[in-house]
Amino acid sequence: MNKSQVMEELKEIQARYEDEVTRLLQKLPEGDREYFTPSGLPVKPLYSPADVPDFEYTADLSFPGRFPYTRGVFPAGYRTRGLHIRQVTGFGTAEETNKRWRFLLSHGANALSVVPDDGSGHRADSDDPRVRGLVGKGGVALDTLYDYETLFDGIDIRKYSVHLITTNAYGLACYLALAEQRGIAPSELRGSMSNWMRPDTECLDILEYCARNVPLFNAGYLDMRNVREGGCTAAQEIGFGVAVAMAGCDALLERGLEVDDFLHRLTWFINAGPEFFEEVAKFRALRKVWASVFRDRYGAKDPRSLMCRMHCQTYAPTLTIQQPFNNLIRSTVYAMAAVMGGVQSLHVNSFDEALSIPTEFSALLSVRTQQILDLETGITKVVDPLGGSYYVEWLTRELEREALDIVEQVQKRGGGFKAWDWMCREIRAAAVKAQAAFDRGDRKLVGVNTLVEEEDIQMKALRVLEKHAEFEALFEYSTEFAEKQIRRVEKVKRERDEEAVVRAREELAGAMREGRNMVPPLVEAVKQGLTRGEFARVKAEVYNSPGEGPYVCAPPAVLA
Amino acid sequence: MPDERKMRVLLSRDDWYHQRGYWVIASALKDAGFEVVLGGIQTPVDIVQTALEEDVDVVGYRIMDGAPKVLLPILFEEMEKRGGRDIPVVVGGIVPEKEETVLRELGVRDVFHPYSPLQEITERIRRIAMERRRSRSDSEDEKP
Repeated sequence: MNKSQVMEELKEIQARYEDEVTRLLQKLPEGDREYFTPSGLPVKPLYSPADVPDFEYTADLSFPGRFPYTRGVFPAGYRTRGLHIRQVTGFGTAEETNKRWRFLLSHGANALSVVPDDGSGHRADSDDPRVRGLVGKGGVALDTLYDYETLFDGIDIRKYSVHLITTNAYGLACYLALAEQRGIAPSELRGSMSNWMRPDTECLDILEYCARNVPLFNAGYLDMRNVREGGCTAAQEIGFGVAVAMAGCDALLERGLEVDDFLHRLTWFINAGPEFFEEVAKFRALRKVWASVFRDRYGAKDPRSLMCRMHCQTYAPTLTIQQPFNNLIRSTVYAMAAVMGGVQSLHVNSFDEALSIPTEFSALLSVRTQQILDLETGITKVVDPLGGSYYVEWLTRELEREALDIVEQVQKRGGGFKAWDWMCREIRAAAVKAQAAFDRGDRKLVGVNTLVEEEDIQMKALRVLEKHAEFEALFEYSTEFAEKQIRRVEKVKRERDEEAVVRAREELAGAMREGRNMVPPLVEAVKQGLTRGEFARVKAEVYNSPGEGPYVCAPPAVLA
Repeated sequence: MPDERKMRVLLSRDDWYHQRGYWVIASALKDAGFEVVLGGIQTPVDIVQTALEEDVDVVGYRIMDGAPKVLLPILFEEMEKRGGRDIPVVVGGIVPEKEETVLRELGVRDVFHPYSPLQEITERIRRIAMERRRSRSDSEDEKP
């Protein structure tokens, strides 16, 4: 028998098998007969080669480190490129966050990530009364270069991969100034930032500056993880992200760069959600879609440009206040999908994240989760261990097809920048739909809409821990952080050379007005003590607008 | 004369990243017949400003990261200063159990936790809004 006869015979057998299954399922109540993934793909009870009949190993998968990179970007997977254990950190002042970083590193975390506080987006410094209550909350207060010096005190930025969660050139400028203090040449400086692709001068200045001067720094970012948290599906996570990357690419080509100058410095921030196999398939489909789109439509030639690298943070909307220790189990399973999907870097949410920000205790459990997966379970031994599963290959194809379709829909609406509002509406519609499914009980969440406990013994256990005097069981925000930070900003403002600050500020504003890249004069200005709030005000003046980008809030409006 | 305008609710939030609940609730309130003023990411000072300008019946404040007992006193202080202390405030987001009591004592009218059913949220907010409309029109009637 030749190959197609074998396939025909298989299809016949499968049809008989599926008839039998259908008869069995018809005995079940109607609601229990059909299953769907959260993306809405119907799921059968079994998959065989007949579900991926025209599957071609070389074209669809090939080998890790080879086009289309479906199976992974590095040939030997985690054996040569170990997982970056990178827990997002940030609370209080730079001192508290530095201390937490050292704690995590001393327990085996091997990469760092820092999130700024909720005050930092408001075009104000921590000593401004407008941000009262927000200083050192939700992240770390970082007002001046002095704060960055404290944050990185004793941390070797040549050794550890550092991620700055900021879209702001201010954070980059401080990082560059810090590298200069330590004698690290821009050409050697590594790291990354959340400069997510958007049509504003600041974003593009950062990308252009780094492409030309800081070639190892990952200056571009696709934050689809938070978009997914916002409610979108796995296919939208891929499709919207690729479409936004294409728009950013177009904007940089217009600035005279070549696609291979910057594409390999765009990294992804991606989610790992509850639907295990769909998530594994998502990472694989994303790598394939990325490689094909940028090779075929943009002519990227450098293999590094086509290798889609990802930092992943596990899904949080399903973390519950009820029975909080269940969150350990959820996040572990989500992390397994991320590792089996071949992500480069991972944050595992802590069990208490539906209650507060993590403590040392809960953050350490997140590090241990990753270490146990790596050292005890064997899932990092083999590259793409689920490759070849008929179900996973079928899912990968479905997601690839759907994601490419979404890319086309975005292109029809003017591309990833222009269609952003449309994407936001789609994301919110998906969130509303998902919430309705939970409210109806169609989607289950243990402890919330099923298996609810009158007496929540896990909560009781947490309360016992909370009462322990020498143990911080749940993080509590303290206004002492703000008092301390205000003293830190005041110290910088008191000790700096005001005339030099004014000159540096003028130089910066001049560059921005004349359309020169803002990064070089900003680096000089932060060295003189210019604060983040002052930088934000320069931006507001020069661009004669309240600001640009997603981190400046639109004025209040009535929901249309 | 009963006020026939639609109930108006201001929704604000305290941080940049987490916004799923904010949008889901905005959509649910709109479907339930409210006019929803989207404040977006606002400081307590901004919230009071918008609440007064938009003449809302309720303020819904979404707070993350265990700081409600810090932010609410600031909000109420600002309302005392600038007016609007009579606008009812409800809070959603991450509110630790023991802080819920503190918030209610401060004068927060209701607290919603993750996965509160949407219909329940909209109904509870509607009752609070209607109550305020009534007490407002009563006090208007008493004016000479």
